[in-house]
Amino acid sequence: MKGAESGKDDYSEYDTPHLIMTYTALLSLAILRDDFERLNKPGILKLVRSCQRADGSFTSLPNGGDSDLRQVYCAFAISSILDDWSGIDVGSAVKYIQRCSNYEGGYGQSPGGEALGGTTYCALASLYLALSQSTSSVSPHLSPEERTRTIRWLLQNQTPVGGFSGRTNKVPDACYCFWAGASLHILGASEYVNVTALASFLSKCQFKFGGIAKAPEDTPDPYHTYMAVAALALYPPEGADKSYNLPKLNALWNTTEDTAEWIRSHIQRRS
Amino acid sequence: MSHITVDDLADAALLYCEKPEWQDVTPVPQYDGILFNLSVDVLIVVLADKDATDYFRAVVKSDEISERVLQLTEDIIRLNPAHYSAWQFRYRTLIALKSNLDAELALMDVLAIQFLKTYQVWHHRRLILTALHGASPSESLDAAAKELHFITRALDTDTKNYHTWSYRQWLLAFFDDEALWEGELPYVEKLLDVDVRNNSAWHHRYYVVWGRVRANGEVDQEEVLKGEIAYTKDQIAGAPNNPSAWNYLRGVLEHTKQPFSSVQTFVELYAAPARKTAEDVVVDLDNPGPGPDAHLPCVAALEFLADIYEAAGGEQKKAVEIWKSLANEHDNMRKKFWEFRIKDAST
Repeated sequence: MKGAESGKDDYSEYDTPHLIMTYTALLSLAILRDDFERLNKPGILKLVRSCQRADGSFTSLPNGGDSDLRQVYCAFAISSILDDWSGIDVGSAVKYIQRCSNYEGGYGQSPGGEALGGTTYCALASLYLALSQSTSSVSPHLSPEERTRTIRWLLQNQTPVGGFSGRTNKVPDACYCFWAGASLHILGASEYVNVTALASFLSKCQFKFGGIAKAPEDTPDPYHTYMAVAALALYPPEGADKSYNLPKLNALWNTTEDTAEWIRSHIQRRS
Repeated sequence: MSHITVDDLADAALLYCEKPEWQDVTPVPQYDGILFNLSVDVLIVVLADKDATDYFRAVVKSDEISERVLQLTEDIIRLNPAHYSAWQFRYRTLIALKSNLDAELALMDVLAIQFLKTYQVWHHRRLILTALHGASPSESLDAAAKELHFITRALDTDTKNYHTWSYRQWLLAFFDDEALWEGELPYVEKLLDVDVRNNSAWHHRYYVVWGRVRANGEVDQEEVLKGEIAYTKDQIAGAPNNPSAWNYLRGVLEHTKQPFSSVQTFVELYAAPARKTAEDVVVDLDNPGPGPDAHLPCVAALEFLADIYEAAGGEQKKAVEIWKSLANEHDNMRKKFWEFRIKDAST
């Protein structure tokens, strides 16, 4: 039994491009120092545009899939990297972001969601990436009260052992050291982080045979290893040995400043 | 068969390329000529995955709609629960075949418990419930009620699972039926009885009490506020150093635009350094005090009291005193933040 006839070419509704994969692909290519000669900028913008919904949110795929602040961040990051916001209705996306803000001061994954470190980063990074875009209806800025509430909640999540948890009353995790740490950095509040305690926690997350785990005594994985190193790049501990000398990190794109400069020179300044 | 292991593969299922009923299909490899250099154990699982997904690409290309596609997508999902295209194709096949969606949910019950932290498993449930609602809004309420029971069982094993709570919140808002909403507050209270520090439960309480869209006049805001403040005070009395409860109190007062000073008497009980002996304590039912084992002063209470002083006219000095004690003694971790508050107040 067959469904509706597929198109003549190889395009399939079940093998579409994916918004999050597109963001990570752009970053990966920049990290690998691709010359971006083959970058299909209009195609990418078409994807981003086709993923946005009426309520301002974005789905992972043009024809559906999950939808929350992660996809919003990816859409904003892609637009920022391409330096072309024509694929997004920024105003409605910002309204969606604001609907994700939560009574605790953080941002939930979607409207009504519990305040969570990762999605708080997505919200804040998006709002600050969009600062270059102004709309007449909505300002992407945060009010001072909102900013203070968010800073308060983020700082509250630095636990007694120095690591950050992702939600109130949860245990610290190396990746939230980045999500919360980068959020505070974006808000201009990084000076309130206890850097020594943070570094102490992350150093204990190191696995004795290499790699960094989410918590001390756990087994390592690439994700937590990257997140820990990224957090330390944002918060270099004072007086530490030179193994803690890490490249400067661009907190909004979540990549090194060197890679960010490559993006500016090879994607933005041409076209 | 649940999550596929190497042992399962070693003695059980044939690969798709070995199954007679799939001989009419030509599998489509993902890439040409890529060699793997893997251990035998990994290779067996990788080959099963490669085999199934090669057949998947073939049926997507030919646009097949059939029962065997359901079996194929189920196998892929068990091997790789994050394979979003397989989920998408499965959903489309279920709808095209007019499959029994309640049976699909029962199958998903097994997978969800194992793959609790995968986005796709929950997204699929959302699609199924939406489809059931579309087919028959009144009948789908039964399915929604069953879902709440399922979600409760899932939460029993993992009380703070973000996806699970998120799905529960979506379900309640989507169906927006009083019969579904009315059990939520008792459920939250049960959870908080077990663990008063479960922030997901506190958050759900906020969602159910304040996050629901209500018509004007449907609810007596003042009564609700009184009740919520009384409840939160009791929970703080039972476990004072619980940021979830204090965040809830702050959030509720901010949401209803009540000044923090409206609970000053209560907060002072927890900002006080030493607990009075039993004879000195005056029992105030509206302001339950800390128990004998409470660790005082409570950092959240100190912060709260300082915020009250800061907001009031002419009480800056008292706020600064508290922030100093937080910076130097009670909340050293956030020393720089408290020092900033001191500096900010003097400008």
